[in-house]
Amino acid sequence: MKRLLKDFVRNRYLYSMAIPGIVFLVVFSYIPLVGHLLAFKNFQISRGIWGSDWAGLDNFRFFFSGKDWIQVTFNTLYLNVLFIIFEMIFALFIAIFLNEIRLKWFKRTVQSVVFLPYFISWVVVGYMTFVLFNNTDGLVNHLLKQLGLEAFNWYQTPWVWPIILTLTRIWKSAGYLSIILLAAIAGLSVDYYESARLDGATRLQQMKYITLPLLKPQIIILILLGVGRIFYGDFGMIYGIIGDNGILFPTTDVIDTYSYRALRQLGDFSMSSAIVLYQSVMGLIAVVSFNALIRKIDKDSRLF
Amino acid sequence: MNHPIVPVAPERKWRGGGLSERIAMPLIGLFLILFALACLFPFWLMVVNSFAGTRSLALNGYAIWPSELTLKSYRFLLQGKQMFTSYGVTATVTIAGTVAGLVVTALFAYVLAHPKNRYGGLLSFMTYVPMIFGSGLVGFYLLVVRWLHLKDTLWALVLPYIMNPFYAFIFVSFYRSLPHELNESATVDGANEWVIFYKIIRPISTPVIATIGLFYALQYWNDWWLSLLFVDNSDLYPLQLLLRQLMSQMQLTSLNHGNVLTLPPAEGVKLATVCLTIGPIIFVYPLVQKYFVKGLTLGSVKG
Repeated sequence: MKRLLKDFVRNRYLYSMAIPGIVFLVVFSYIPLVGHLLAFKNFQISRGIWGSDWAGLDNFRFFFSGKDWIQVTFNTLYLNVLFIIFEMIFALFIAIFLNEIRLKWFKRTVQSVVFLPYFISWVVVGYMTFVLFNNTDGLVNHLLKQLGLEAFNWYQTPWVWPIILTLTRIWKSAGYLSIILLAAIAGLSVDYYESARLDGATRLQQMKYITLPLLKPQIIILILLGVGRIFYGDFGMIYGIIGDNGILFPTTDVIDTYSYRALRQLGDFSMSSAIVLYQSVMGLIAVVSFNALIRKIDKDSRLF
Repeated sequence: MNHPIVPVAPERKWRGGGLSERIAMPLIGLFLILFALACLFPFWLMVVNSFAGTRSLALNGYAIWPSELTLKSYRFLLQGKQMFTSYGVTATVTIAGTVAGLVVTALFAYVLAHPKNRYGGLLSFMTYVPMIFGSGLVGFYLLVVRWLHLKDTLWALVLPYIMNPFYAFIFVSFYRSLPHELNESATVDGANEWVIFYKIIRPISTPVIATIGLFYALQYWNDWWLSLLFVDNSDLYPLQLLLRQLMSQMQLTSLNHGNVLTLPPAEGVKLATVCLTIGPIIFVYPLVQKYFVKGLTLGSVKG
């Protein structure tokens, strides 16, 4: 105890530097944990958290007795799986292909351009989607009409949205992922390519049998990091593109948009926190188990 | 700091290649060109249609090349007050948040990485827990609105993002790579840690500070989550929320298709708002791109 105190006094300047960070962590990451309590309460704003009555598991019973939870859970998982797979496939193509390009200016230009969409907010992306697909003035419908085809009611057809959302996601993040992969490729030894070349391997064979297999650990890690967050929908993306268009909810409503609406539009705090707690617990299970997997594959890439 | 934009790939000797390669390589080039064009195309649509005249928009909708080009939308937009208000809000929040975020995370990470600190493990544990177990929307909302009373203030748009665990860990891995003798000698001279940090550590960490600073700036500039939750007063609308509000009106009109009055006349104005919102990013992008690439490669080594 005395030694602890002495350490504190001696290094007081050092420790004092961490105080602002600790304060922000506690206030914005730890205090909100209290909100999980509301899941077990019948929250009334006027009575506050502590004054409201306990509700036991009623909120959960209500949430799980309906069909919504199955739908939003399914959508969250399904959309995330689509995103993780297709983002990775396109990023791999871009990175491996760019690696084979000899013209420096071409490589540089393509890389700059495909990275650009990463810098745009989802609101703007939502706007772009609207310009392309909206029912009456959208460019896609306009082109369809010029080809003599029927216009399509994109914003009233739920089944097309997982596809459109996946395309937007590829558009926005494949370039960004490809840069991470390119950095990993840059770390590969030239010797592999050199000896493959001496053995008469073509460039295509080098891509397939050298670059791709050597990237495997990196690919697995990136995928597992994504899978660890599989219970968290991308609120910014979904709400930015779909907004409050209820017709599309059957295929696009994720846990995050659902709990947001429960809170902000219905004002049902207890219900919303039951959903959020369910999500946090499932998310915890996912991240801990996939982190254990990552740890097995590559110790340095683990999250904790 | 001369960091190449394209991560340096190993120097390879290229050979002519057989028939399959002479077919494959152009196809690879074509794929890359098409993907790059697909990345640029939506930007083109936004920009060119923001110059489209009302009649052109009403007749043809959004076109690849509008039949009539005019500056009307921009003139209209710049006559109003809202655009300037929102620019002011976004700029203030971005600058304040970036500066505060850098100071707080850099200091925190410095302590975390310091060899004399006995609580490094505890501090990293504290930082990891929120990344693993979400504290959730409801508690966060109540905190800001009911306990801190920050609804409809600029504070609500700045404070929540200041301490970012991911960026803190990037700082930590950088500080760990520094030789310890650097501040050992200064400690002997009797300087305290704050002075050492300011005089020695800060100047040599300029590249990391630049990288993380840009990530912060991008996050604040593009954020609309906080304003969606906490801002109702249009004097405090950041650009992104302004756009969002314009858009939610548009989606309603898209639903009553078949109606003659589907296209609101202010269409061009909305597109012009988009262009003014992404404009600064597009202009700064070529200059700062290399720092982002550096940040991504740093982060992928150890998050």
